[in-house]
Amino acid sequence: MSQSEDGLVEVDALRAAVQEHYAEVAHDPVGGDFHFHTGRAATERLGYPDELLEHLADACIEAFAGVANPFAWGLPRHGERVVDIGSGGGLDSMVAARAVGPDGFVVGVDMTPAMLERARRNARAAGIDNIEFREGLAEALPVEDGWADLVVSNGVLNLVPDKVAAYGEIIRALRPGGRIQIADVCVEVEVPRDARADIDLWKG
Amino acid sequence: MEDVGFGDLRFGEPVDTYGGAPGEANARTFGVHGYPFTAVKPG
Repeated sequence: MSQSEDGLVEVDALRAAVQEHYAEVAHDPVGGDFHFHTGRAATERLGYPDELLEHLADACIEAFAGVANPFAWGLPRHGERVVDIGSGGGLDSMVAARAVGPDGFVVGVDMTPAMLERARRNARAAGIDNIEFREGLAEALPVEDGWADLVVSNGVLNLVPDKVAAYGEIIRALRPGGRIQIADVCVEVEVPRDARADIDLWKG
Repeated sequence: MEDVGFGDLRFGEPVDTYGGAPGEANARTFGVHGYPFTAVKPG
């Protein structure tokens, strides 16, 4: 069995715990017992402008569990190809799909089947057809070399056991000159060894 | 990130991601904030 980069967590156990946790978010985002904000409480706290979300139904927003706003650096440009790593319920993917328009395309990647089902259902309901949600891992993106103009992600890479592999995959998927716009958490206090071995804190 | 080839790495303003959420106490203990950041794959 493989271990996380620091050797403290077994990779398959961590992935299973994260999948289970985010399947709960997919199934019951409003009534679930989560230690983070979800839905509109999260989008408002993180500074998503109302006009970005006004075309989306509540069902598209409820399962949002991001940690900051990757579009603080600007929206994708018309015609661009975008990959959303850990696309969850699909909110950021659908914002990107609207921004790139019919000449662009968005691929959302997630490892949790319940989230993929929710995102596909949300995109169909919203009438968004320049988007595809694919099952996969950040460390093995189901995207061909150099396909993407932009890679976005929100609150996901901190959960990935092998971050060097994930960033290597992002580089592979981007065209030369392509860019990333990522939202994630940073820790300002050194985390003790026992806390780094606590999968419940990884999920947080 | 620079080790795998990214350049022009920039961080935006932090946000209090967990403020008012059940995870706030842990976030305060470890100084956890959300950040947007960007970088470029050299052309």
